[in-house]
Amino acid sequence: MANNTQSEQFDKIVSALLARPDAPVSRAEAARRADRSLAPVFEIVRDLRELPRPNFKARLKADLERRISMASSAKAVPESRVTATPYLSVRGASAAISFYEKALGATEVSRIDQPDGRIGHAELNIGGARIYLADEFPEIGFKSPESLGGSPIHINLDVPDVDESARRMVAAGATVVRPVKDQFYGDRSGQFLDPFGYTWTLSTRKEDLSPEEMQRRADTENAAAPPPKFIREGFRTVTPYLIIPHAADWVDFVKQAFGAEEHFRAKRPGAEDVIMHAEVKIGDSMIELAEANPQFPATPCTLLLRVTDPDAVYARAIEGGATAFDPVADHDYGSRGGTVQDTSGNRWHIFTPTPGSDLFATFRTVTPHLYAGEPVRLIEFIEKAFGGREVYRAEMPGGGIPHAQVRIGDSIVALAGGRGPYTPMPSTLHLYVRDTDAMYEQALAAGATSIQPPADQPYGDRSAGVTDPFGNRWFIATHVRDVAF
Amino acid sequence: MPPTDAHDERLLIAAAQKDPARFTDLYEEHFERVYAFVARRLRNRDDAEDVTSEVFRDALANIGKFEYRGAPFASWLYRIASNAIADRWQHAAREQGAALAGDPADDSTHANPEAVESRARLFRQVATLPADQRRVIEMRFAEGRSIAEIAREIGRSSGAVKQLQFRAIQNLRASIEKHAGAKAKKPVGKHG
Repeated sequence: MANNTQSEQFDKIVSALLARPDAPVSRAEAARRADRSLAPVFEIVRDLRELPRPNFKARLKADLERRISMASSAKAVPESRVTATPYLSVRGASAAISFYEKALGATEVSRIDQPDGRIGHAELNIGGARIYLADEFPEIGFKSPESLGGSPIHINLDVPDVDESARRMVAAGATVVRPVKDQFYGDRSGQFLDPFGYTWTLSTRKEDLSPEEMQRRADTENAAAPPPKFIREGFRTVTPYLIIPHAADWVDFVKQAFGAEEHFRAKRPGAEDVIMHAEVKIGDSMIELAEANPQFPATPCTLLLRVTDPDAVYARAIEGGATAFDPVADHDYGSRGGTVQDTSGNRWHIFTPTPGSDLFATFRTVTPHLYAGEPVRLIEFIEKAFGGREVYRAEMPGGGIPHAQVRIGDSIVALAGGRGPYTPMPSTLHLYVRDTDAMYEQALAAGATSIQPPADQPYGDRSAGVTDPFGNRWFIATHVRDVAF
Repeated sequence: MPPTDAHDERLLIAAAQKDPARFTDLYEEHFERVYAFVARRLRNRDDAEDVTSEVFRDALANIGKFEYRGAPFASWLYRIASNAIADRWQHAAREQGAALAGDPADDSTHANPEAVESRARLFRQVATLPADQRRVIEMRFAEGRSIAEIAREIGRSSGAVKQLQFRAIQNLRASIEKHAGAKAKKPVGKHG
């Protein structure tokens, strides 16, 4: 190739230039060294010696972008940090400082003595925590727990080894209020009253838990305790109340398909086959029902039914006369399930949570599910009217809510925006609350309309009823006394 | 610089002053210039990269203070670069316990912007070469590799690598001449 010698010769010069980076290269020199026709490219070669390394431009750009994003996120943080420091007023500040040194390993950072011998201000450091302290000055309203008869505020102190700290605290003269134990929220802690009237919670973090996990463990602890008396035995805060046609047939269906147990049935006087009120239990969950009538037209409900084998239960439901609504499938939001509609118009989403997914982990056997035209407003209503708390909300990019969970008392109500085949479906729910009268007023203030004002019922509840702005009916009740039927 | 460029540049600056994320547009526009300016004044690539980084970080931090007074944005960057280079030289001199003869900053204030500009253009043109030619040029010049090393790395013969190098340079030369030609013709087109 004719080019070959040219490129060989050219590279010799390139090599020479690269070997001696400082070599001045003039056109004349280049011309002397090589073929005259190559001369004009030597300037290029000289300049290329300073070519930036290939990825430097991209690296620096990434660095600048990181700085830009850090600068903009830093702006979102308030400029000054706010800290809260406990300020203890004690009778005998000097003795208190000695006590805290001994009991809690405090060190005195500073102290200002008053002419009358009292300590006007002192700062202690306890394992990095700052505590202010001074003698009491009752003349200016700065009173100690001893003057006030106790302090309602207690101080939480995180320590590396709570058992060791507790031992030291007690040895120094504190009294045990609650002994050290593992707490459901992941701490091991105990409470101690010091000789100056302050209560200290000493705690050591054992497990880092999410708020959801703390709630789950609190629920487990509370479940072991006797339920509050205002909830009728066997019930929870929320119970779905199905007002449906063919109620008697429906009871047979849930017995056969879902293994329901019938707990109670009141028949309409003179019409033996019509259910006035009935209660069935599936798994751990109660469902109430009544035959629809002119005063209370049908409000079927969508129920989330937690099972271990959704495919089998789905098949039994179909066998029992339900119609397929959505076949069983794996859902990426954390469950496997399918939906059927029973002959009374209720929809059952029969599901099992996906192992490892905690979205439905705390669900009981039956959870009522509301489909609403305006799910966000419904959530707001439940929060205002019944003190509910939104615990989960999935949002679609366009703003739709495919799934949300609101907690009321000890129960979850699931809800979603009504879309496609899942049209809004007004339902009826039964709530047990501490104070029916107050809750009824609160619901009206939140925009509900009255069905019936609070009244004592012969079956031992005081109850009231409201309709929310979205057509759902809520029966609010407080269990007052047990009545034998 | 033609008035339209200056106008565009003012818009870029204003955008970056309003939204720091837009600073990257200015960076893309000026990276090669700053590097070319810096690399000529410092002996090794690590130093050149350090100072170039310093210049853009400094410019980003102070973009809000930049006031347009008719001089191109690049001259502001060059001034930052000159200071950074001067600092580095003084630091080096202090470390060696000796004063430097002459102020290197002098050199930069008298820098020939045209020469910087043409080197910056060359660096940008390398990026437009066919991939195999570009790779050879980058490895040979920016990474300082030998022909044999490059041949091993890209799986070609040494002769082929030398040919790619030669053709790449010819291509760069052609685009430089094309640019110079277009520039020379421009006034003719405008006035003639």
